[in-house]
Amino acid sequence: MLTTQLKYDLLMFSRELFYLIFILVVPPATYIFMGQLYGDFTYAGNLTYAQTYTPSFILLITFGVVFFSFGFEQVMHRTTGVEKRISLSPVPKKVLLLSSILKSIILTSFGFFIVYLIGIIVYNLSFNLLSLISSYGFFILLNALLLTISSAIYSFFSNMNSALVFSIIIFQVVMITGGFAIPVEMMPKFVTVIAEVNPIYHMNKLFIAIWNEQFQLDKSTFISIGYIVALIIIALVIIRFSTKRRN
Amino acid sequence: MAIIDVRNLQKSYGNNQVLKGVNFQAQEGEVIGVIGKNGAGKSTFLEILMTIKSYDIGTVIVFDEDIKSIPTNRLEQLRQNISVVLQPTQFYKTLKVGELLKLFKAYYQSPVDIEKIIADFKLEAHRKKYFDKLSGGWKQIVSLAIAFLSEPKLLILDEPTTGLDPHMRNLLWSYIKNYNDKTGGTVILTTHNMDEIELYCDKVMLINNGVNEVFETTENILASGYKSINAFYLQSVSI
Repeated sequence: MLTTQLKYDLLMFSRELFYLIFILVVPPATYIFMGQLYGDFTYAGNLTYAQTYTPSFILLITFGVVFFSFGFEQVMHRTTGVEKRISLSPVPKKVLLLSSILKSIILTSFGFFIVYLIGIIVYNLSFNLLSLISSYGFFILLNALLLTISSAIYSFFSNMNSALVFSIIIFQVVMITGGFAIPVEMMPKFVTVIAEVNPIYHMNKLFIAIWNEQFQLDKSTFISIGYIVALIIIALVIIRFSTKRRN
Repeated sequence: MAIIDVRNLQKSYGNNQVLKGVNFQAQEGEVIGVIGKNGAGKSTFLEILMTIKSYDIGTVIVFDEDIKSIPTNRLEQLRQNISVVLQPTQFYKTLKVGELLKLFKAYYQSPVDIEKIIADFKLEAHRKKYFDKLSGGWKQIVSLAIAFLSEPKLLILDEPTTGLDPHMRNLLWSYIKNYNDKTGGTVILTTHNMDEIELYCDKVMLINNGVNEVFETTENILASGYKSINAFYLQSVSI
């Protein structure tokens, strides 16, 4: 049953042109384009463009997939009545949830390897198997964290249009304050303040550090990890309450 | 054989008590129409029978199972015997009709041949169309075809013919009657079309002011002096 559901979930994703372009085409294209503009710069930690922005763009794709194709889709199915109709069939809820999670992991892994491949071909990114394994492991953890946060946020929406507007706005906010466009440190003060409350910014910092084997348990790392853990606890509480309310 | 037994069913939304003590029984093979004005609680009642809505007080027995205390795994088994057509009907919009049938066949682990269902419901011309692109009538037909995939013992239809032209309505009813005749399955439906009740239903339940004011055979209602079920409804329910 799980494989059948997953097959159809992936088929449905492939037919959503908006998701395909916005999530799987635009970020890699932007990664290449920005590299042409800023490829010669040196970034924090004495890193090259590819060392900094390869994990960043992988995270951006992950965010896009999880928020649009997982979170927003939940709202869409809930508000259009699809969820209600499916719930009337004898398919276990855990199969539907597991399929959604696996779909996100497959799509984000596709994003991971496509951006990585572009980095190697276009920007001479070095290949290191051990680093790849640890980065991919952390990337899967980020997937799980984002799925939890996304589930909690979208549980508040009962209207598809407001969820869509929210998704588009939040994508812009994350893009600017997550360190995906230009380094947050180079931006005005108010943007850096917003960045501090943006969990994606903290995830991005940690991911870049792990990707480049620069991860250290210092004050900044503790703040980032502590903040993300606190958000996950809040998200789990919200999910629990919203599930209880719906039942 | 009793398929459903409902006693003193009560349900509120906040301070609004919609159902104030409904009693209802459905036997195997019966076609029962549930009527009442908008907001009377018909859909709430059906959704409780569908096992997707909780209730406050009362007992609801479906296929000998008390649905309030049933564990999740048995609830999923119970749902294999129930099929529904909702209003409005919605499925995954980016799946084609043939794909939807295959997916639901997997959900119900149904032995029914998809090709037979497509032939029975005259869906050949629509099998490669996206569900979202179908007209309202064909969406209802597809929904009914999916409902029959599971060979259900109980079919629950929430306003199945709303918005359909007379031909589509006849087509839909021919399938429902055919199912009822062939399988002896029980059908419970809501509708605002009293002609349908008169033509096709064995029994009528009128929900008014939160209770089943009338629960009687169509025949007996007509025998009691009403010219039609429409006349019965208009005289029984005030605006």
